[in-house]
Amino acid sequence: MLLVPDASEQEIAATAAAFLAAEFPLARLHGARADHDRLGEFAALGWLGLSAPEANGGSGLGVIEEMLFFYELGRVAGPVGVLAQVLAIAAAGDERELCAALIAGETPVALVVQRSEEAGIRFVGAADRGYALEVTPAGATLFAVRGGDCTEVPCLDRSVRMHTGPASALEQRLHVAGDRLWYRAQVAVSAMLVGTAECAQDMTVAYAKVRETFGRPIGAYQAVRHPCADMAMRIEGARCQLYYAATALQEQQADARLHVDAARLLADRAAKANTDANIQLHGGIGVTEEFDAHLLLKRANLLWRLFGASQHRMRTLLGLDDAAEGLAHGEDA
Amino acid sequence: MDLHYSAEDDAFRAQARGWLRDNIPRERRPAHGEAAAQFDRDWQRRLFEHGWAGLNWPAEYGGLGLSAIQQVIWYEECARAGAPHYINTTYVALMHAGPTIIACGTPAQKTFHLPRILAGESLWCQGFSEPNAGSDLASLKTAGVIDGDELVVNGSKTWTTDGQHADFQELLIRTEPGSARHKGLTWVICDMRAPGITVQPIRTMLGDAHVNTTFYDDVRIPLANVVGEPGGGWKTAMSTLAFERGTGFIGDQLALYERVNRAIALAGRTRLADGRLAIDDSDIAGRLALIKADTLAIKAMTFAQISEIRQGGNPGPKGSIMKLMVTSTAKALSHLVAEIVGWEFMEYNDDRNDHPLTYDYLWSWVYTIAGGTSEIQREIIADQLLQLPRSR
Repeated sequence: MLLVPDASEQEIAATAAAFLAAEFPLARLHGARADHDRLGEFAALGWLGLSAPEANGGSGLGVIEEMLFFYELGRVAGPVGVLAQVLAIAAAGDERELCAALIAGETPVALVVQRSEEAGIRFVGAADRGYALEVTPAGATLFAVRGGDCTEVPCLDRSVRMHTGPASALEQRLHVAGDRLWYRAQVAVSAMLVGTAECAQDMTVAYAKVRETFGRPIGAYQAVRHPCADMAMRIEGARCQLYYAATALQEQQADARLHVDAARLLADRAAKANTDANIQLHGGIGVTEEFDAHLLLKRANLLWRLFGASQHRMRTLLGLDDAAEGLAHGEDA
Repeated sequence: MDLHYSAEDDAFRAQARGWLRDNIPRERRPAHGEAAAQFDRDWQRRLFEHGWAGLNWPAEYGGLGLSAIQQVIWYEECARAGAPHYINTTYVALMHAGPTIIACGTPAQKTFHLPRILAGESLWCQGFSEPNAGSDLASLKTAGVIDGDELVVNGSKTWTTDGQHADFQELLIRTEPGSARHKGLTWVICDMRAPGITVQPIRTMLGDAHVNTTFYDDVRIPLANVVGEPGGGWKTAMSTLAFERGTGFIGDQLALYERVNRAIALAGRTRLADGRLAIDDSDIAGRLALIKADTLAIKAMTFAQISEIRQGGNPGPKGSIMKLMVTSTAKALSHLVAEIVGWEFMEYNDDRNDHPLTYDYLWSWVYTIAGGTSEIQREIIADQLLQLPRSR
């Protein structure tokens, strides 16, 4: 029983953190289309294939390492396309050629966030080339995108592109049945959410140490200190549960789904509340375009909408859902 | 990271589960009074006779010297079996006074007190807070003056939990006249039967009188009862407070998990005023799910904390995050349950056994105030974890 990262896990997290801090400072997000076409940088360092089997050209690491990487990615509000790419690689499984192209970052993947025959489709990511991935509790589907049929729409999070189109714009390429990818996606997006929450906390705490009002740093006022302590509490709970959930999923523990659903619920809460408090505690500067705080709020709004289904999670946690009992050992692993 | 228990830990769990199944008392713990204290002494005696006393005490002092993970296993099994709650009239003796004497006591103090505590023969209470020194403990004024080989103590202490049952008290007093704050304090063992001590019960909004104000009128305490250095009482006291905020509440942290599962079951069979099952109400279900997630997180935080301790770390301010999270989650849970149960909740007759759900609800404020209020915990987090500028 060990629920803190061991030496090799710490090293992976530290390596990711160093790369991301150097190449993806938050300031970049003030530029237009900040993160477009930067997949290659992740591919070059092997991050995209982190958890793909070695036989398929990956590094063969597990859910825990993947979680630690996405946590660090969340801390810099890193490219969401990386999440789509890593999940698509997992969906591609043993299709060697496809897997290799995805790991190399040559074929970008968008995330399908809405799809119905009547209302059509919506996806986050580029439309002009490559694939789009849909992940649901029932299974994961990789589609080829007919970009010409789609329309780009604005997105509150300016660092991502968003498209809508008719359902016919997607052509199924492969389908993986079962909820294996759904739960991996939940761990990854939860990690990004907690990372975002931590970034918001760090921003507030740094400002509270230097900004003075009435002759004192605002961090000396309990009206500021106590919300900061609450931010830390939300992160600690969400982070420990995330560690537990990732480890339970890695080990295919019988109650892994329950733990992942709990982690996601707490990650949503931490990201929503901390990105909110970050703006509020900054005062006026917090609502300006030039300052970073709104970027985290907008990113949190994107992330907590991904792989939604809060009803499903609630039923799992309350034991109302038979599907929650027992992560099938090797069901589709 | 891994979630595997060793074969040794699995064997320990099986042993604990088997023993608890065969040995937990069949009768209910009386709600309060001397009968409750006697129930606690008897249960401690039973644990002692069967080799389960002093889980976290080193073996050389008669304890089991269990690893943190085995302590977790023990408390999980206690919660699962419905064993008597360990936070009872023996708590201060086993979790505060004993560990403090082990850390700072003289050989004579160890020889006399430790076996009696383990066997449930002596109950202890705490004498730290005063009417004007609660959250600001260092402003305490109760004074001891040296007279020959004794200290003569005058003043008062308050929130003395179970003081009416206690044989001894861990008493923190000012022994250097004119000293201020953390300096000049001394930690002494006070015999609660010494002449000059008056214990006055404080009735609480729970309808009981588990706390007291204790008055000291020329109470004579031998200097041989000083634990740690004279004048070094703050240091001695911190050895127990740090302990309480570290691992002292592991059992409570884990018991919350069973409580939330019982609340989910309750919501599954209780009808609201409009005839629907409580669990079918989306607001209630949503809040229950979040509370369940919080209790799972508290369990995960417990494992993370003991992992850090095992790697040589100190939980430090993380203990304050734990206290804040456990007590606020327990509060949210007992308040939600109050909304689920309807009018039955109102029939409270001051007996916690008859109306445990109302009692838990009323207790929730004791929980977020005692042992350092939630506000004090936030101050500790702001100072020590976030390193924010001091507010005072």
